[in-house]
Amino acid sequence: MRQFLSYFTLLLAGSLLLTSCGLAPPAPVDEPETAAAGADAEKVIYLGAAVSETGKYSREGKDTRQGYGLWLDWVNNEYGGVQIDGERYRVELIMYDDEGDPDTAARLVEKLISEDQVDFLLGPYSSSLTQSTSAIAEKYGKIMIEGNGAAEPLFERGFRNLFAVLTPAGNYTRSALQLLAEQGAKSVVIAYEDTAFPTSVAEGAQRWAAEYGLEVLGVETYPVNVADVSGIMSKFKELEPDIFVGGGHFNDAVLFIRSAKELDFNPKAMVITVGPSNPTLIEEVGADAEYVIGPTQWEASMSYADDYLGTAAEYAARYQDMWGEPPTYQAAESTATALALHLAIEQAGSLDTDAVRTALRNLDVVTFYGPISFDEKGRNAAKPMGAIQIQNGEILVVAPTHAAVAELNYPAPAWKDR
Amino acid sequence: MTNGPPADKNGNETGKKARFPSLAPVHSLLAGWTGLALWLLLLLLLALYPYTGVSSLALLVGSQIFVLVTLASNWNLIGGMTGYVDFGHAVFFGVGAYIMAILVTGAPLLISPQWGFWQALPASGAAAALFALLIGLPTLRLKGPYFSIAMLGTLVAMREIVRVSRPITGGGIGLNLPPVLNRIGDYYLMLAIMGLVVSLIWWIQRSEFGQSLIAIREDEVGAEMRGINTTLHKIAAFMIAAFFTGVVGGFWAWQNTFIDPDGVFVETRTVEMVMMSMLGGLGTVWGPPLGAVAIYLLQNLLWSNLFEWHLLALGLLLVLIVLFMPEGILGTLGDRSSTSLGRLLARFGRNR
Amino acid sequence: MDQLSQALVSGLLLGGFYAIMVLGFSVIWGVMGVINLAHGEFLMIGAYLAWGLFRFFGIDPFASLALILPLMFLVGYLLQITLINRIVERPHLMTLLVTFGVSIALANLAKIVFTSDPRNVAVAYSGSFQFAGVTFPIVKTIIFAAALLIMGGLHLFLQRSRLGKSIRAAAQNKTAARIVGVDINRVYAITAGICIALTAAAGAMLSPTQAIFPFMGPPFTLKAVTITALGGLGRIPGALMGGLVLGVTEIFVATYVAGIGTNLGVATSFILLVLILVVRPQGLMGGLRPVDAEAD
Repeated sequence: MRQFLSYFTLLLAGSLLLTSCGLAPPAPVDEPETAAAGADAEKVIYLGAAVSETGKYSREGKDTRQGYGLWLDWVNNEYGGVQIDGERYRVELIMYDDEGDPDTAARLVEKLISEDQVDFLLGPYSSSLTQSTSAIAEKYGKIMIEGNGAAEPLFERGFRNLFAVLTPAGNYTRSALQLLAEQGAKSVVIAYEDTAFPTSVAEGAQRWAAEYGLEVLGVETYPVNVADVSGIMSKFKELEPDIFVGGGHFNDAVLFIRSAKELDFNPKAMVITVGPSNPTLIEEVGADAEYVIGPTQWEASMSYADDYLGTAAEYAARYQDMWGEPPTYQAAESTATALALHLAIEQAGSLDTDAVRTALRNLDVVTFYGPISFDEKGRNAAKPMGAIQIQNGEILVVAPTHAAVAELNYPAPAWKDR
Repeated sequence: MTNGPPADKNGNETGKKARFPSLAPVHSLLAGWTGLALWLLLLLLLALYPYTGVSSLALLVGSQIFVLVTLASNWNLIGGMTGYVDFGHAVFFGVGAYIMAILVTGAPLLISPQWGFWQALPASGAAAALFALLIGLPTLRLKGPYFSIAMLGTLVAMREIVRVSRPITGGGIGLNLPPVLNRIGDYYLMLAIMGLVVSLIWWIQRSEFGQSLIAIREDEVGAEMRGINTTLHKIAAFMIAAFFTGVVGGFWAWQNTFIDPDGVFVETRTVEMVMMSMLGGLGTVWGPPLGAVAIYLLQNLLWSNLFEWHLLALGLLLVLIVLFMPEGILGTLGDRSSTSLGRLLARFGRNR
Repeated sequence: MDQLSQALVSGLLLGGFYAIMVLGFSVIWGVMGVINLAHGEFLMIGAYLAWGLFRFFGIDPFASLALILPLMFLVGYLLQITLINRIVERPHLMTLLVTFGVSIALANLAKIVFTSDPRNVAVAYSGSFQFAGVTFPIVKTIIFAAALLIMGGLHLFLQRSRLGKSIRAAAQNKTAARIVGVDINRVYAITAGICIALTAAAGAMLSPTQAIFPFMGPPFTLKAVTITALGGLGRIPGALMGGLVLGVTEIFVATYVAGIGTNLGVATSFILLVLILVVRPQGLMGGLRPVDAEAD
């Protein structure tokens, strides 16, 4: 019996110890390397973000981190800190890796709010993680400003504390469809992955098609990780539309282009939501990516500029300098997210949540990323979506007109004639 | 189909084990009233824990661990005790989560008025249990891997069915639940559910019902011949496991405030349950909870130290666990000479 | 009519790919009773190998099979003697968990090595030709032909060669095979080598038709389970039939159901799996039996 008791005590003690370890906070990653010297006297703003470093969103998560990182480096080292009432505040950004997992993301945002006691939150990558984490922020009355969740349902919940600098998903195809309609396109077919973001894009596309007088001939959905879209493509081929709109993941862009060519489906324009604005697509798919049109939140060749990070091109150069690769639009919108918060704090002249929320609501600025001005739902209604087309292996902006650097090539020749 | 029942290894050849004394007597005691008493004590301590002035993060972490413990214990009832390796158990989690979301939002089905959380929670469980009855009647007749594969198929099929049923389920877009967060309430609710489930498993294991389940695992034909209504027993165990898995799914949907098919009908969630049960000790009462805590800690440990490599490490670890300690922590501690790791340790011991 | 023949052709071509994709899975299950949940990951590795050989050495994905087949045979052989042979005769829970562990490890290893940027092989001859009023995708037609060729070869090997006969003997009755002097472990290792090589070859052939990424495997594993249930274990004609049936079903549902056809096609394949297991646990073609006998 005594032996048993000692064993059991051991076991119990062990499990309690283990439990308490589990409750210990996970180690932070990517902590800013700002100097700690004289930290006592210094005024500091704490920002927090849970962004994927591993897991299914690791690629886009990296862009998001680097976008935030660029602003952080600039605001502390070059700009000299956020200015409130004549005083300079250094910024500390606490970032954790949410692994793309909702449980982990919830835990980390909870930790940022309740333990790290950050002043404001920056958003994670992906619409679905933004859905669940913004609910936590709303509950605690913390402002979450984000640049990587575009799905419309995010903004239909009446949240007061969620702000997004990116163009909402419904407007993704707007400038592309408008331009194509002007060029004489008459009809459109739409295929989209049935998750939140592509659905919003597709619903928006139908709205804009009606607006610009395009007839919608067919709408098809497909599930995540689909490996074959022959059914959709041969159906669309029969309909002989002018425009094909496809929305989903990067992988789907490859699949759409390959299947269209394989089945000799020849729309006069292919508009694909995610993929075309990423140079990897040209690298992998090669010449078949020519003429493909894609919406873009931002491109380095756009003509926007601000007094802080300069022109879009200067921003791109700075980014290249810091991270050794050109910025994707996910990176740019992340930087713009942080910049919008920065500007709102300076306008509010305080770190008070209510004051900053009001400042965000009233914000009306043009940045290197484009105009930023939030509507009553927290969306950036001011910013138009751009459109690019792949021409001779280059990604060139073709819309909106004031940012365009090339003429749209329309119609695209049939696969046989290329 | 035997997965080494480590719970009642009473054949302890004590003479051989001077160096590694057996824990077998501990097991039989833990399986009895002492075990329950200690469990209730632990629950009491956990119930007092929030009074020590902990942060809401600790409460959230607590409720997440309780979820894992409950899931592992539930899986163990059908997978460990009855020996039916359910490789799609997460389907009940998903069904529960969706029933909760549909009832409380009411939006897609236009159920009016919307249900409250407290009405919807048991409904989540009931729906999952009903689903278990429907799917279990045909699938529980299957043996060995065929049952596992049929359940895996059920999980994936349900994911796709939910995806195409957009008018009811919101489809791939998912459903937003009202953002009501109550960390302390969640903590106590999950603590209560966990306490109930593990105590229930403890009771089942001692009851005639539980003995019949174990008899089915050991020799189903023999059990049938001894007059055990195997179908009834299997279905009952399956439905109980499904009920609480559904409740946990409903709870999770409420806590996470957002669900979509790819978030709740996940193969890895099932495998997690299996891993936890196995690591702790299949078919034992206390093994799965222990395994759940261990896996949770392990994941966090790997994650915070290995970053990019942590899932790779987790995969390899899974392989190593299965190869070297298939009897789980409790089994390995209990009877070292009969387990792979025990033998390995013993060999090292001798070499030194 | 036009749409019908097009759907039939697309379905058969997809089915041909499914058949070659499932073969390795089905034979491993049939011969040693192991349900290989890492199946899709070997496919993914094959696709990445083809991509690497194409990108860095300019080798055509179909030509690269000459390198990929022997290399992956070796990988399968080694994996079998180091890992799988240890668990072959253990409870199936262990084989499921071990192969699942391998699949997590491989997918995440691929993510570290290749990053999660999607890849694709841009062969010059991608495109289509017209025949009898139906559009034939060139690459998929080649895959179909190659699949038939490989399956024919494997069938001959299993039926005629001495080694092939030992493999079949081991599948039918392990104990008897052992008694007559078959080295079971070696036979298993060779079987695994062949199967893994075949699976990787299927992946390599797939590389020009879709995006390659580290987490592409699991859907293929699930499809493989369905097709095996349809066609029976370890039988080449069964794999072909199962593959064709599933391919045609998916494409027909996708073509003839408006709006959600493609979703429904994917759903159908899994509903079929459950239905077949429940209604006819021995598989549609009666081949699931041998494992059942020694599953425990």
